Amino acid sequence: MDFSPVLIAIAVFVVLVLWFVLHAYNRLVRMRNNVSNAWSDVDVQLTFRHDLVPNLVESVKGYMSHERQTLEAVAQARSAAMNAGADLATRAAAETALGSAVGNLFLTAERYPDLKASQNFLLLQEQLTTTENRIAFARQHYNETVRQFNALIAEFPWNLIAAQFGYTPEKLFAAGPQDRATVQMAS
Amino acid sequence: MSVPEMTGAASSFAAPTARPPETFFKAQERNRRATWRMSALCVFAAFLMGIPLTLVLSPFLYAVTMATAEVVNHFSPLPPEFWQISSDLARLAVRVADAVFNQRGVVSTQELIIAAVLIFLPGIALALMLWTGMLLLFRHGGVGGTLASLNAREPNPQDLKELQLADAVQEMAIAAGLPAPKVMLIDSPGANAAAIGTCAADAHIVLCRRLLDDLNREQLQALVGHLIASVGNGDLRIAFTVTSVFETCGLIVTLINAPFGRQSRSTLWRIVRYSLRRGTGAAEAADAEQVAELLADTLDMNSSDIDRFFNSSNPGVIRKALRLMFFPFLFTNIAVELTLWFFLNLLLGPCMALLWRTRRYLADAGAVELTRNPDALESALQSLSDDSTTVAGGSWASHLFVVNPGGDRSLRGDSASAEQQRKFLQAWQTAASAGGAAAPLNPPPSLPGTAAEFARVRQEMMSTAMAAATGNAEATARLQTFAQAMGVDPGLVHELPNFNDLMLAQRGDRAALARVRMQRQSRQRQQSGTQRGQTGLQTVSFVSFHPPLAKRAKRLQRMGAHLIDPSRRHGGLGGKIVLAILYLIFGPLLLTCGVLMLFVIAMMIGLNLLCLGLWLALIHWLFAVDWASVIAGFTKFVQDVAAAFSQRR
Repeated sequence: MDFSPVLIAIAVFVVLVLWFVLHAYNRLVRMRNNVSNAWSDVDVQLTFRHDLVPNLVESVKGYMSHERQTLEAVAQARSAAMNAGADLATRAAAETALGSAVGNLFLTAERYPDLKASQNFLLLQEQLTTTENRIAFARQHYNETVRQFNALIAEFPWNLIAAQFGYTPEKLFAAGPQDRATVQMAS
Repeated sequence: MSVPEMTGAASSFAAPTARPPETFFKAQERNRRATWRMSALCVFAAFLMGIPLTLVLSPFLYAVTMATAEVVNHFSPLPPEFWQISSDLARLAVRVADAVFNQRGVVSTQELIIAAVLIFLPGIALALMLWTGMLLLFRHGGVGGTLASLNAREPNPQDLKELQLADAVQEMAIAAGLPAPKVMLIDSPGANAAAIGTCAADAHIVLCRRLLDDLNREQLQALVGHLIASVGNGDLRIAFTVTSVFETCGLIVTLINAPFGRQSRSTLWRIVRYSLRRGTGAAEAADAEQVAELLADTLDMNSSDIDRFFNSSNPGVIRKALRLMFFPFLFTNIAVELTLWFFLNLLLGPCMALLWRTRRYLADAGAVELTRNPDALESALQSLSDDSTTVAGGSWASHLFVVNPGGDRSLRGDSASAEQQRKFLQAWQTAASAGGAAAPLNPPPSLPGTAAEFARVRQEMMSTAMAAATGNAEATARLQTFAQAMGVDPGLVHELPNFNDLMLAQRGDRAALARVRMQRQSRQRQQSGTQRGQTGLQTVSFVSFHPPLAKRAKRLQRMGAHLIDPSRRHGGLGGKIVLAILYLIFGPLLLTCGVLMLFVIAMMIGLNLLCLGLWLALIHWLFAVDWASVIAGFTKFVQDVAAAFSQRR
C-alpha cells in the first residue's frame, strides 16, 4: 500500500482544517462565556443597587420628609428598573433613570445640613458612589467583551464557523439615543 | 462635593472630547510587542552571560569530580574504563584547545562538537537545575513573608478612607473582570503601592496608608487600576521569573563560597531546611522571604566570605593548610563573581529592567483602559514621585512598586524654579507677618529667590511643622496662612507638610508624628546632597527597574492626559548639549573599561583553568605516590644517619 503525494497533501490539509475548526470553536465558546460572565457581573451589581435603594431612602427619610416627590421618584425608578424586562436597551434606559434619580436624591440631601453633618451620611455616600462605579465598570467590561466578541465573529475565517454554530452578535448594554433623551427629561 | 464623585467610566457617556493621538488599545498592543522584543533580548543576554559562566563552572565541576574520583579510587579502585575515558576526553580537550587557540594540529568536526558539548553542557545543566530548583522552591512560599516584612495590615472598614480603598479595589477588579485581590496597608511614612504575589490567584495589593490622605478618590482609583491591570497582564509571574534568575545567580555564588565561610554555609543550610520542610503558614512564608533576602545580599560584591577566608590576618596552621588546598577555588570564585557582577550589571540586569519597564507602561495603558481617566493616573504618579521617603522592609521587592521607592526626580525637577522660589519666600513672609509672630527676625531678602534663602526658609518651615505637630497652635496658624498664600501650585505642593498628618499628630497619633519627622529628615538629607543608595534588585542593574516618570507622563499625555507642562522639567537645550558632550567624553572611556573588564574575566578564566589543572596534578601525584615506600625510605634514611652518627661517636 503506497500513498501518492497528492493523497498525503489532501490528508494534511483536512487535518489542518479540522484543527482550525476545533480551535476556532473553542475560542468562540470561550469568548461567549466571557460575555455571559461579564453580563452576570452587571446583573449582580444592578441587583445590588435595587436592594440598596430602599435602605437608602429609609435612612434619609427622617431628615427630608418634605421632599416626598424626590423620594417617590426614586421608588418609581427602582420599580421601573426591576420590571424593565429582558431587552437590553430598555433595561439600560431604566437603570440610567434610576441612577440619576438616586443622584438627584443626594443633590437634594446636600441642602439639609443636619443630614449632611451626620457621620452616617458620608458612609452612605461612599456606598452609593461605589455602587454607581461598580455598575459603570461592570457595564464597561461587559461592553468591551461584547465588542471583542462581535468583532471576532465578523472577521473572515471566524464568521464561517460562527454562522455554522449559530453565533450571532451580542447587544451592548447602553441606552439608545431616544432613551437617553427621555432619561434627561425625567431627571 | 455635591454629587457622589463619579469616575471616568460613568462620565464616558458624555460628549466625546478631542480624540487623543494614541488610544490605550494601541498603546497596550505596542507595549506587548515591546515586551516580546525585550524578552528575546533577555534570553540573548542570558545566553551571552552563560558562555563565560560555563567556561568557569564546567572545569570546576570536572576538577571536583576528578578529585572525588581520586579519593574514592584510593579506597575502592574504580574500573579502568573510567580512567581510560577521562584520559581520552582530557587529551581530546587539549588537542581541540590547541587547534582553536594556536591553530596547531587537525581536529574533525565531530571532535569539535564533542569538545563543545563537554565544555558547555555541565555548566548549562547546573544553571538550569538550580534555576528550576529556585522556581519550585519559591512557588509554594507565597507572599506572606514579604507582607510580614513590610508590616502590612488589613484595612479597617470603619475608616472611611480605608473603606474607599477597598471599594476602589473591588471596582477596578470588576472593570478588569478579575477576582478581587486582597488589600493590605502599610503604616509607613512613604507613599507608594505595589502588587505582590506569585500568581494572579494570590495577588495582594499593598498600599501605604499615607496615600489615602494624599490622593483623592479618582487618583486612588487610577493607582489601583494600574496595579490591577498589572496583575491582569500576568506581571506577577514575570516578576517572579525575574527575581528567580537573580536568586539563581545568588545561589551559584553561595555554592562557590560555601567551603570558605560560615555565612554562605548558613544560607545554604537555610535553603536546604526550607526545601525539606513542607509545612504551611506564616513560618514557611517568613523562611522564603529570608532566603530570598539572603540570596539577594549574596550578589552584593562587598560581603564575600572568600575575602574573609583569604585575608584574615594571623591564621592558624589548619587555616594555612586549608588555604593552600583551596587556593585554586579562589580564582574560580573571583571569575564567577566578576562574570556575574559584570554581566548582570551591564547586560542581563538592564535587559530585565527594560523588560520590566515595558510592563509598567503596559499597566499604565491598562489603567487608562479601566478608568478612562489618564489625568487621574498622571496626577497620582506625580504626587507619588514628589515623595522620596522609602518604604521600610521588603527591599528585594522594590521593583514591584509603582514608582521607585528610592524616589524619582525626573518629573519634579531638581529644585523649584527661581520664580517658584520667590513665590514661596513671599508667601512665607506674609504668613510670618499675618500670624502675629514677633517682627520677622530677618529683613526681607534683598536678593529675592536666592537658593540659599530658599533652603533656609524651607528648613524653617519644616521646624514650624514639627512645632505644629507637637501642639503649637501659633505654628499651625502660621502654616495655614502660608498654605493659603501660596495657593495651588503643582510644583510646590510637595514642599508643604502633610496637613492631615499634622492634625493627627496634634491629636496624639504617634505614627503621624513619625511621618512628619521623617519628612523633615528626608528634606535635610536632600539638602545635604546625600543620595540614598538603591535597594533590592536595583543593586544588580545599573538601569533602574522603574521608568522615569517624565516618560510615563509623556505617554499618558499621548493617551489624552493634559496636566503637566514638561518644559520646566528638562534642562532645556543647554542641558542637552552638556549631556551630549559628557556622553562623548565618557562613552569611549566606559567602552574601554568594559573591554578591559572582559579581558580581566578572560584572564581569570584562564588562571582558573591553570590552577585547577595544577591542583588536579597535585592531588593525582599525592594519590599516585607509594607513600609506604616513601615513608620506609625516609625512616631508613633517618636510621642510617643516626647509625652514621653513632659510629662516629
